[in-house]
Amino acid sequence: MRQFEEHAAEFVARAEAGRRRLIEAGLYDPAWEHDACGVGCVVAIDGTPRREVVVKGIQALKAVWHRGAVDADGKTGDGAGILLQIPQEFFREQIKGARDTEKRLGVGMVFLPRNSLAQQETCRALVESEIIRFGYTVRGWRQVPVDTSVIGEKAAATRPEIEQIVIGNPRCVEEDRFERELYVIRRRIEKAVLAENITDFYICSLSCRTVVYKGLFLAEQLDNFYPDLADERFRSAFALFHQRYSTNTWPSWKLAQPFRVLAHNGEINTLRGNVNWMRSHETRMEAPLLGEHNEDVKPIIQAGSSDSAALDAVFEALTQGGRLLPLVKTLLIPPAWSQRMAMPQAHRDLFNYCNCVMEPWDGPAAVVATDSRWVVAGMDRNGLRPMRYSRTRDGLLVVGSETGMVPLAETEIVEKGRVGPGEMIGVDLEAGRFYRDGELKDHLAGLKPYGRWVENITYLDRLTARRGFTTTRYPRSELRRRQALYGITLEDMELILSPMVLEAKEPVGSMGDDTPLAVLSKRYRGLHHFFRQQFSQVTNPPIDPLREYRVMSLKTRFGNLGNVYDEDPSQTAILEASSPVLTSTDYEAVLEYFGPKVRMLDCTFPVGGGNGLRDALESLREQAEEAVRGGCESLVLTDEAVSPERAPVPMILAVGAVHSHLVRQGLRSFSYITVRSGECLDVHYFAVLIGVGATAVHAYLAEAAIVERHERGLFPDLTLEECLARYKEAVGQGLLKIMSKMGISIISSYRGGYNFEAVGLSRTLCREYFPGLATRISGIGLVGIENRVRAQHGKAFGEAEPPIAVGGFYRYRRSGETHALEAHMIHQLQHAVASDSYQAYKRYAEMVYAQDPVSIRDLLDFDRKLPPVSIDEVESITEIRKRFVTPGMSLGALSPEAHETLTIAMNRIGAKADSGEGGEGRERYLPRPNGDNPNSPIKQVASGRFGVTAEYLNAARELEIKIAQGAKPGEGGQLPGFKVTAEIARLRHSTPGVTLISPPPHHDIYSIEDLAQLIYDLKQINPDAKVCVKLVSEAGIGTIAAGVAKAKADVILVSGHSGGTGASPQSSIKFAGAPWELGLAETHQLLALNRLRHRVVLRTDGGLKTGRDIVIAAMLGAEEFGIGTLSLIAMGCIMVRQCHTNTCPVGVCTQREDLRRKFTGTAEKVVNLMSFIAEEVREILASLGLRSLEEAIGRTDLLRQVGRGGPDLDDLDLNPILVRTEDGGFPPHCAIEGRNEVPDTLDAQMVEDARAALEEGEKMQLQYNVRNIHRAVGTRLSAHIPRRYGMDRLPPGHITVRLRGSAGQSLGAFAVRGLKLEVFGDANDYVGKGLSGGTITVRPLVSSPIVARDNTIIGNTCLYGATAGRLFAAGRAGERFAVRNSGAVTVVEGCGDNGCEYMTGGVAVILGPVGDNFAAGMSGGMAYVWDPKEELALRINTDMVIYQRLEVDHYVEELRGLLEEHRRETHSELAERILLAFDRELPRFWQIVPKEMLDKLEVPVRREDPGQLRA
Amino acid sequence: MSSPMMQFVRYPQRMPDKRPAAVRRADFGEIYAEFDPAGAAEQASRCEQCGVPFCQVHCPLHNNIPDWLMMTAEGRLREAYELAAATNSFPEICGRICPQDRLCEGNCVIEQAGHGAVTIGAVERYITETAFAEGWVRPIAPAVERPQSVGIIGAGPAGLACAEMLRRRGYRVEVYDRHDRIGGLLIYGIPGFKLDKRVVERRARLLREAGIVFHLSCGIGESGPSFAELRRRHDALFIATGVYEARKLAAPGVGLPGIVAALDYLIAANRRDLGDHVPAFESGLLDARDKHVVVVGGGDTAMDCVRTAIRQGARSVKCLYRRDRDNMPGSQREVQHAEEEGVEFVWRAAPEAFLGEDRVRAVRAIRMRLGPPDATGRRRPEPVPGSQFELAADLVVEALGFDPEDLGGLFGEPALELTRWGTIRIDWTTMMTSLEGVFAGGDIVRGASLVVWGIRDGRDAAAAIHDHLAARTAAEGRLALVS
Repeated sequence: MRQFEEHAAEFVARAEAGRRRLIEAGLYDPAWEHDACGVGCVVAIDGTPRREVVVKGIQALKAVWHRGAVDADGKTGDGAGILLQIPQEFFREQIKGARDTEKRLGVGMVFLPRNSLAQQETCRALVESEIIRFGYTVRGWRQVPVDTSVIGEKAAATRPEIEQIVIGNPRCVEEDRFERELYVIRRRIEKAVLAENITDFYICSLSCRTVVYKGLFLAEQLDNFYPDLADERFRSAFALFHQRYSTNTWPSWKLAQPFRVLAHNGEINTLRGNVNWMRSHETRMEAPLLGEHNEDVKPIIQAGSSDSAALDAVFEALTQGGRLLPLVKTLLIPPAWSQRMAMPQAHRDLFNYCNCVMEPWDGPAAVVATDSRWVVAGMDRNGLRPMRYSRTRDGLLVVGSETGMVPLAETEIVEKGRVGPGEMIGVDLEAGRFYRDGELKDHLAGLKPYGRWVENITYLDRLTARRGFTTTRYPRSELRRRQALYGITLEDMELILSPMVLEAKEPVGSMGDDTPLAVLSKRYRGLHHFFRQQFSQVTNPPIDPLREYRVMSLKTRFGNLGNVYDEDPSQTAILEASSPVLTSTDYEAVLEYFGPKVRMLDCTFPVGGGNGLRDALESLREQAEEAVRGGCESLVLTDEAVSPERAPVPMILAVGAVHSHLVRQGLRSFSYITVRSGECLDVHYFAVLIGVGATAVHAYLAEAAIVERHERGLFPDLTLEECLARYKEAVGQGLLKIMSKMGISIISSYRGGYNFEAVGLSRTLCREYFPGLATRISGIGLVGIENRVRAQHGKAFGEAEPPIAVGGFYRYRRSGETHALEAHMIHQLQHAVASDSYQAYKRYAEMVYAQDPVSIRDLLDFDRKLPPVSIDEVESITEIRKRFVTPGMSLGALSPEAHETLTIAMNRIGAKADSGEGGEGRERYLPRPNGDNPNSPIKQVASGRFGVTAEYLNAARELEIKIAQGAKPGEGGQLPGFKVTAEIARLRHSTPGVTLISPPPHHDIYSIEDLAQLIYDLKQINPDAKVCVKLVSEAGIGTIAAGVAKAKADVILVSGHSGGTGASPQSSIKFAGAPWELGLAETHQLLALNRLRHRVVLRTDGGLKTGRDIVIAAMLGAEEFGIGTLSLIAMGCIMVRQCHTNTCPVGVCTQREDLRRKFTGTAEKVVNLMSFIAEEVREILASLGLRSLEEAIGRTDLLRQVGRGGPDLDDLDLNPILVRTEDGGFPPHCAIEGRNEVPDTLDAQMVEDARAALEEGEKMQLQYNVRNIHRAVGTRLSAHIPRRYGMDRLPPGHITVRLRGSAGQSLGAFAVRGLKLEVFGDANDYVGKGLSGGTITVRPLVSSPIVARDNTIIGNTCLYGATAGRLFAAGRAGERFAVRNSGAVTVVEGCGDNGCEYMTGGVAVILGPVGDNFAAGMSGGMAYVWDPKEELALRINTDMVIYQRLEVDHYVEELRGLLEEHRRETHSELAERILLAFDRELPRFWQIVPKEMLDKLEVPVRREDPGQLRA
Repeated sequence: MSSPMMQFVRYPQRMPDKRPAAVRRADFGEIYAEFDPAGAAEQASRCEQCGVPFCQVHCPLHNNIPDWLMMTAEGRLREAYELAAATNSFPEICGRICPQDRLCEGNCVIEQAGHGAVTIGAVERYITETAFAEGWVRPIAPAVERPQSVGIIGAGPAGLACAEMLRRRGYRVEVYDRHDRIGGLLIYGIPGFKLDKRVVERRARLLREAGIVFHLSCGIGESGPSFAELRRRHDALFIATGVYEARKLAAPGVGLPGIVAALDYLIAANRRDLGDHVPAFESGLLDARDKHVVVVGGGDTAMDCVRTAIRQGARSVKCLYRRDRDNMPGSQREVQHAEEEGVEFVWRAAPEAFLGEDRVRAVRAIRMRLGPPDATGRRRPEPVPGSQFELAADLVVEALGFDPEDLGGLFGEPALELTRWGTIRIDWTTMMTSLEGVFAGGDIVRGASLVVWGIRDGRDAAAAIHDHLAARTAAEGRLALVS
């Protein structure tokens, strides 16, 4: 044991050193770690403590182990814990001499530093002295018994000393005050300990009511580790429990949950902003209950808190300050309300009030929380985590991420439900009452006259309507000069601004960004070019701003933020704008509203004289502070005063300086910041301004440009007002999109959140003006920025008439920005591959090398410190080529010719082609007679799940889950309707001519444990294929990758921002994501640090152009390499960048027959390209003294930085990507043969039992009991069927499997025809995911007392991406039912929000209420809704569908047939009832039909179809 | 998308109407009519708006072609003109005489893919003519007047472009030319059916109105001031004399009357066209009327000669060229025009001797075949033994290219460094010759080349001269401060 501990200690020391090195180097920040989890609670509704509650809580944890992660040692979990009422009896017996008068003892659960006795003593002394200071007594310390044998190596090595302190209350202070003072005491202790510089001290809980037992073990070990919990005296009225799945394996005991008030499954995307805003709120936060101790509890959020810990801290502060727990949840995690039509006015008023008080904490959240009186379980506005509950006959409420976690007798359950988006259920333990969501909100709304209070709000729109229209105008010459000053070009006008006005949308472009990073550019680049938009991947989903905009809001508050503890009408005396984007009219109205409380700050500096910029920023800060202290409520930052003598302070810098200063001074909430900027024009600029703290933005010069164009008649048929409104609309849409990428729904939570990564900004500058903004390689500082601004000023004001700048940032222009692939290189490369001339290729490579630096790798060179070897000793071209991949480019984006040619070429050389998202025809799965193999070895699974069938998945050697794409991370793919030919539509199960959009998120991946589930599902449906997860480079990708590796991925692909696309918004192509060099290095280092590197293959792509790029990528950690754009060029692409318009003149990226005929690509050309690159790799390896690419992997010591960018940069420091981390002696590349296998599920048994069916084709029936831990039941079985019988040879139901109980997630995922699953009980999320022809029925046990149609029987996101098959469920489905269904037929008895979203085929019958946003983006298929309460109109999203009563017999019969089938399959009582009175019920049905389909249906849905009449 | 562009998928390529060959043979008028506005917009809208505009890349001036095509398609002609004029001093001239099929249009992406190029030249011409018609083209009015003056030798494309750009910046500019008209080859070398002389004169007028001083009929070292005198007179000099020394055939009978140099022939024709009295023409020496004409050569000058001969009423016109159609240096489009007008091309044939007693009567030619490629990648022609044949010829025009004159001798300036081909050696980054403050560009630096390259050199030289003078002023300023 001792030896073990020493070993462990050594490990920790080494790993800690490695980690510190990475942190110091700046490539890794612990703040980027994420977690997600299983969460829930068990509550005795009557408030009486029961032993059963504790037992069931522990049981529940044991049934969600699959939602957590296990480290390589098999024992170290990411943490688990439970929060219980203090068993007073138990603790009374632990101490001697308790007086009977002390009704309650306080108990503190404390983690002390284990390795330093001295520190332990210091901590104990501090704890005791604070307790005594408040007049309480220390009854003693108790060493908590623990069994260390159940925990893993890392957990043991980092284990704290765990003790409890028992506190007496000799003065018999009443309980509420005792509890509150314990809170103050804890905060005081925490601060005191921090002052002693002790970091390993942590108080899990200090309370007279509750105690938390938690630690770094697997959930199932909780009661083994803490034998206390097995004690019969541990009784409680509630148990909150939590299991953590962290993206990395860094052991941390205190990050285990629950915290003091809550347990949180999710992720706060707006953390940085929230923490900053809390700091601003704090200045004014005074709770009367806390009296003199208000300052003691500040700062409310401790530095370095995780998101969940920070949320807990605010929850705790607000409840301790006297706010009601359910209201705190509503304040911090409000539902979406402003665009939900089906919501009572009283609720609306309540939420409107909350919006005035503070900004939401946004992001996926399933929380359970308690203040000992209330227990609530709530969900974020999007419902991005599952939460199911059951109520039993004897008054127990069981809430958790999955149904069936706690085995309950079905006959005992009286209610089964789920907590929907923005919902909350609660138990008032004092009253012994259970509140459903509506009841609880009614209760809250009735507490205060919120309706009257919100009448105080002033709405900007109404003010502007009264004021009349004003605008900003400049003479043309002045306009042009000012534009020249900011580097605004003709391209900006024509390609960006003009479409924003004409289309009211952001312009779309294609291919990737191949211009230099702003810091490397020789041309003037606005400061916004240094900010890369961040986005969520894996650990939380992006929001869908297209289809789910109802949950999003741009509402912008102007005005004084008051004391958050207050509850009075003064809080609603604010000005509210519908958008932070202001026109002149809006701007004037705001100024008028604030009158004398406005202070204008001039953001220009004199061009003569040094230090101009620094002094200007300093002065801005001083002026702002002085103004705010003097009572100014409205700061206006403007750069209008530019002149021949004065240059503009880059507005982003000005806002950053003022905002950060006011936050530091605690003054930010006293004033808002309006910006008038000349440089601001595109959406990204707005986003950066708001992200660094601006309240609202008026882009006056963009407006003036619109005015000028309007006057020139360039916007015919539009009034100027309309033009500006459209521009505002386009910017608003773009902002929603940018926020949604980060999973943020609310602009007030996005504001000041620094949701960017800086690439090439100086660290010093960021620390000063953008604190918290990640900037890993440092770069330009104030001096450089000032130089560039001055130079630009000289150009604009130096000549009588500044020359027209045509641009060249989006598309090449000679006078504009460098592009990595320029005309002569394209031709040279095409010449090389066509003539099979390696010499010609080398000339191409020389051209690339001769170019100015474009990417980070261009600043690197090889350090040839080893003696070279003969090239004959280097591995062959054939070996090297196998590592090449053509990254996912879909058939649809590419022409069939190009797509096949690529695949055939890659197969010929044993390399891999990726199908992209769009399916692949069965005819391509087998080699052609001539031996060409057109079957893509890698099949992509993207969020649209187009063409993803069991057969498709089985035709692959590798399955790639595309989480994000370099050109548009956080967004879904789009295929314009004119590219959807009959053939494409067939493969994608959609309708020809109808635009296809993939949702931004995978609706089955909202968290890391969800990804693990999808990987699990895919490994079930294809028992051989490896699974790849495609990520996009950004700060923090390393920790995400570690989580992905723990989720059993076999390959991790790190894509760079420069990757291509068939179509995406220009601002995404240009400003989202980071270079792969950064992401790859971080991923490689973090995986090595976490001992995971050897378990996965690391791949990279994004603008790889030469053998040199390949070798550098290998040295930074990659083993495989994606070559996309270049392979297209080899096939004739000439970077026309019109992929999105279907006019590719060379037939590569078009579906037009006539243009496809122009395709001249051949497999030989592609093979030549790959061979040339491989040959160049060989030459480089030989010169480096290496014999294979494998030897180069991770060898950053063979790289050195040779360029440092321009002379005026602070420092461009690539050391962060060149550090080598401690790797524990494991190989720096994948060393796993085959794939990382996942544990078996029930199917292992089923396949065994079904042998007769699978081998002999016999008909069979099997029967099992099932639990939630049995996941993906039926999937592995389904893998066997198409391999033996194809997709359609077995009749439906040939193998029937009957299951009793609660089925785990992904029941029947990808199930095929021939398999039927019958569940008696219920099922969790993802029932029938990717259903490919199988049949699934779910019904309650016959003996169950519940009314099926009122209860939830299947979870969220069922039938996601289903292509065929049938699902019948006697009960309600969760959120996103049948999302992206493209062929399955289903009947359920109600569903949650976003039902039938993005559906492109199939039929859905909903016999009951549907949630909000029904049928959003539905472009195919049909739905019927039984709507006796006439609610559909309030909930349906009619952007793409119509709804009507059934008019045509054909459809009446279809509906009746499905009802009969439903009755037959599920014995549904409801179906029976409807069928009995069908004629009476028929008028209560709606038929929902996509508008696009109306003229394409074989049988029209309208009796008098106008089309027919015309015919 | 609202953009009207990328319409090549809808509209086929269409040039402005071309006058029928029979009609155009009879005069020296330009052969193309102007686009009508709809036609220009339609043809401009065929542009694919490429991410990598090969048209621009392969344009010596790097004209922002996709941008002004878009403006044209959208009917924003004034902006189109401003853009076109921003990178090109004489867009109306380039639009007419550039060999677009070898430059922008030849590299047009949709041309390469087989859809037929966007008719860039015709649109450029349309834009500029519209600008002239609408009065948008105004003489340069510099914002500042600078004290320095620059002398320019040669009023051809390079000299004029340089003069224009310098004047734009406010310099005093004086141009010297040995001819009596402004324009160099533009006025005397290029026939009117390609470039209407009024177009050149219109441009010359604008330059005069801008305040540029022209000294015509003023050969340096001949009829005008000496080179040394010019250097004293001006702060900087730009040499853009062009190359005028015609290359000659070495074959028996080359001295026979009736064998003339291309430029002599073309200048005479152009002067006639301008209404001048030209004795050598009137004597019949340089007039092709009723003659069998043989032009030797395959470049653009040869094309100009054959088509001029047609218009002068020759009995037959043959063009003799060593290589074949695919390997000729001249524009394919010109060949096509010439064929339409009745010129007969005799490919892969070279003159061996000129026959005749007191004047030329026939050309004896020999068939050539293309051998293996040489160092330049072009296939070297070699004679086919025994394949001689005769062509009747009353007039033989030698169009074999041009070499520089002896500038060193002419300028009396031995320090002016020349290359072994007799062209002036310059430093390409500064455009400066071996003489301080003396710059050069155009054909005299490159050897015979295109007008558009001349314009490019003139513009580059203007920028270089500006930098040079600005640096000198700054240095003098510093000196003044020191003293």
